[in-house]
Amino acid sequence: MTRYIARRLVLTIPVLLLVSIIVFSLINLIPGDPALIMAGPEAGKEAVEALRIQMGLNRPVAVRYLIWLNHLLHGDLGKSVKDGQPVLNILLLKLPVTVELAAVAILISWLIAIPAGVLAAWRRRSVIDYAATTVALAGISIPNFWLGIMLIYFFAVNLRWLPASGYVEPWIDLSRNIKLMIMPAIVLGTALAALVMRLLRSSMLEVMGTEFIRTAHAKGLSDRLVLLKHALKNAMIPVATVMGLQLGGLLGGAVITETIFTVPGIGRLAVESILTRDYPMVQGVVLCSAVAIVFVNFSVDILYSVIDPRIRLVEDKA
Amino acid sequence: MKRMFLAVALTVVLVGGLASAQTARRGGQLRAGLDADPPNLDPHQSTAAVDRQVFQSLFDKLVDLSQDLQIVPMLALSWTISSDAKTYIFKLRPNVVFHDGTPFNAEAVKFNFERMLDPTVAGFPSPRRSEVNLVQKVTVVDPLTVQIDLEKPYSPFLAALSDRAGMMVSPTAARRLGRGFSLEPVGTGPYKFVEKRPQDRVVLERFDRHWDKNAGYVDRITFRPFPDEQARVANLRSGEIDIINIVPATEVAALKTDARLKLLERGGLGYQGIYINVSAPPFNNRALRQAFNATIDRVTLARVVFGDTVTPANGPFPKGVLGYDSGPNSRIPERNLDLARAKLREAGQPNGFTFTLKTGTGRIEQQVAQVLQSMAGEAGIKINIEILEFGTLLSQLDAHRYEAGRLGWSGRPDPDGNIYGFFVTGGGLNNSAYANPQVDTLLDAARILNTADLRRRAYADVLNVLNEDLPYVFLWWPKEYKAFTPKLQGFVHNSDGMLRLRTVWLSP
Repeated sequence: MTRYIARRLVLTIPVLLLVSIIVFSLINLIPGDPALIMAGPEAGKEAVEALRIQMGLNRPVAVRYLIWLNHLLHGDLGKSVKDGQPVLNILLLKLPVTVELAAVAILISWLIAIPAGVLAAWRRRSVIDYAATTVALAGISIPNFWLGIMLIYFFAVNLRWLPASGYVEPWIDLSRNIKLMIMPAIVLGTALAALVMRLLRSSMLEVMGTEFIRTAHAKGLSDRLVLLKHALKNAMIPVATVMGLQLGGLLGGAVITETIFTVPGIGRLAVESILTRDYPMVQGVVLCSAVAIVFVNFSVDILYSVIDPRIRLVEDKA
Repeated sequence: MKRMFLAVALTVVLVGGLASAQTARRGGQLRAGLDADPPNLDPHQSTAAVDRQVFQSLFDKLVDLSQDLQIVPMLALSWTISSDAKTYIFKLRPNVVFHDGTPFNAEAVKFNFERMLDPTVAGFPSPRRSEVNLVQKVTVVDPLTVQIDLEKPYSPFLAALSDRAGMMVSPTAARRLGRGFSLEPVGTGPYKFVEKRPQDRVVLERFDRHWDKNAGYVDRITFRPFPDEQARVANLRSGEIDIINIVPATEVAALKTDARLKLLERGGLGYQGIYINVSAPPFNNRALRQAFNATIDRVTLARVVFGDTVTPANGPFPKGVLGYDSGPNSRIPERNLDLARAKLREAGQPNGFTFTLKTGTGRIEQQVAQVLQSMAGEAGIKINIEILEFGTLLSQLDAHRYEAGRLGWSGRPDPDGNIYGFFVTGGGLNNSAYANPQVDTLLDAARILNTADLRRRAYADVLNVLNEDLPYVFLWWPKEYKAFTPKLQGFVHNSDGMLRLRTVWLSP
C-alpha cells in the first residue's frame, strides 16, 4: 500500500510538468500583447516597450519557461506583473475561499442527489422517479450565470434574505460567511447534484438486480436496510470516481459563479489574470488547479478500497 | 416671557430641523462598487482607468477639476504662468502632511516629478512620463514655492496635473518601497490606505490630519469590484453597496424610475466610434471611407441601441470640452445614400465593397455592429463582423492588423487629450496609421496657443480636414451616470466620472 502510494506520487511529477508546458505554450498563443494590454489603450509606445522588457517578454518563450521552472523548483512561483505581489501569497489567499465554496457545493449536491437518487431507483418508473429525473435534467441544463442572477434578484433584491455578494472569512464572521456561501454553493452544486443523482439512480438499479440483494431480501431484511446498507454502499463506487473527475468541472463552474457573486477565489483570479495576460499568475493558478485535480483523483483511488474491500491496491509484479 | 420662550423654542426647532436636513454628518461606512478590480494603487505605475477611482480619496492632486471642467486649486493654492508659457510657478498649500507624517512641500513636488521622469529614481519606467516629459527642470524656490520649466509651451499641462500626474506620493514611502509602493500607497488625501485584497476589496480609513477640515465625513470606504454589470446593479438594489461607478446603458431606464435609488446624469468627456486603417485596402481609398460614413444615421443609432443614453457625435469634443461648439465637431451629418453611391462610383466600385469590422464582446457592441451593417448594406457595402476579446482587439488595432475597428476613448478634460495622440503622425494612439502634415502642424500649434479662442479655431481647422479624410468615424458621446442610495449625500458629480468621495456623507 505504501509503495503503491509512493509510486503514484512519483508518477504525478511528469503529469504536472506536461501540464505546465502545455499551459505555458497556450498562454503564449493567446492573441494580444501582454505589455500593451497591461499598459492599457491610453499609454504611449515607449511605456509599452519599457514594460515589455520589465516583464521579460523580449526573451524567447523556451527561455522564459526554463527560467520559470527553475524558480518553481526553488519554491518561487514568480510575481504578478500587475502589482508585483508574489503569486504564491495570492494563491494561498484565494485557495481556501474556493475550497470552502467547492466543499459546500459538494455537500449541497449530496444532500440533494443521494436521497433523490435512492428514491428514484427504489420507486422506479413512479412519479418520484420521473420528477427527480426531470429536475435533474433541468439542473444540468440551466446555465450557472442565469441561475446566479435569478437567485440574487429573488433572495437578495426582492426578499432581502441573503446578502447579494462578497466574502467574509469564517473566523471573522461565521454566520455572514454561511449566508454569503449559500447562493454561490447552490449554483455550483445544482449541476453536480443532477449528475450525481442520475448516476446514482442507474448504479442503484444495477446493484439492486444482483444476487446478494436478493439474498438480503430473502434473509428478511427490511427494504430500508437493504437499500441504504447494502445497495447504496455498492452503488457509490462509480459516484466516487465521477466526483473525482468532476473537480475539474467544479473549478470551471467556480470561474462563473465567483464572478457573479464576487467571491474572491481561484476562479475570479483565473479570469482576471487571463484577461490582463498576467502570465505568472495564470501559470500559478493552472498549476495549483492541476495539483488539486491530480491529488483528488489519487485520493479517490485510495478511497475505493475503503468503500469496497474487494478492491485491493497492489503493485503489479510485471 | 412665555412668548419669548416659545419664540426661542420655535427658532431652535426650526434651525435644528434645517440643520439636520442640510449639514453633513460624520461617521459611517461607505461601500462603493467598481467595474473592475483596481490592479495598481501607485499613481505613477497605474495604467488602468479604474485605479483613478480609488486615487481620488487616497491622494490629493496639485490642481483639481471643477464641475464645469475648470482647473481649481488643490495642493497648489495658486500659480503663475510666464508670458512665454514655459515657466510655471506654484504656491503650495501650507501645513499638509502625508499619511506617514512626511511633510508635503516643494521638495516633495520635485521628488514626484523626478519619480515620473527618471526610472532610476522610481525603480521602474513610469507610464506618467509621456504626460510630463516636456518638464525640463523642477526648482525648489522656497519650501512652499516650486518652479517648473517646460521645454516648450504646452497648454494641456495643468489638465495633466489634475489627474494621476499631479497626484503627490510620499517621498519617504516611495524611496523605501520602490515598485512595492503600489501595495502600501501613501498620499496626502482625506483617506489613508488600510488593505487591499485582490478581486475582493480595497479598504480606506479617514485620515485625521488632512488639511481640509470639511473633507472626509465617512469613517471608512470599501471599494469592491463587480465585473459583471448585472451583479453590480443587483448589489446596489439589494443595499449591499451604496454607489456604483459605471451604470450599464441597459439599466439606465429602469434606474431612472426606481424610487429607492438616485440616478445622476451628465455629459461625459469621451467619444466612441470606428478606427479606419487608412494604410491598407480597402480603406486606403478615401472615397470608400466617405461612402461608408455617408451610410450612417447617427441619430437612429443612438436611439435604437442606446435609447438616447448617448449623444450622436461627429467629433472628439463632447459638450463641456473646449472645441465642442465648432461646426465640424457638433454638426451631425445626415445619412445620405445618394452621396454614398456617388462616392462608390468615384472610387471605381459602383457595386459596393466588403470590409471586416472588428469589435469587442457584449450585447451593446454587437448591436452597434449590426445596426451599422444593415445601414451600410443598403448602399451595397457589406460588413463582416468579427468579435474579439478586448485585449486582442487592442493589440490588433495597435499593430494595424485590421480594416475597421470599434474602439473609443474615455476622454480628457483638455481637448488635446482627445485628439493629439490619435491623429498626429506616428502618435501613440494613432491606430489608423494616419499621416497628414497639415494636421500635424495644426495640432502642434494648438498645444502652443494659450488662449481658448485660438485653440478652438485650430481644432476646428483640424476637424474640417478629418471630416474629409475620415481616419476615424465618430459615432456617439457617452453620457456619464452615477447611481447610488438616497442615503448618500453631498456627492459632486463630475463629467470625468470620478468618485470624489471626500465631500460625501451618509444620512442615518
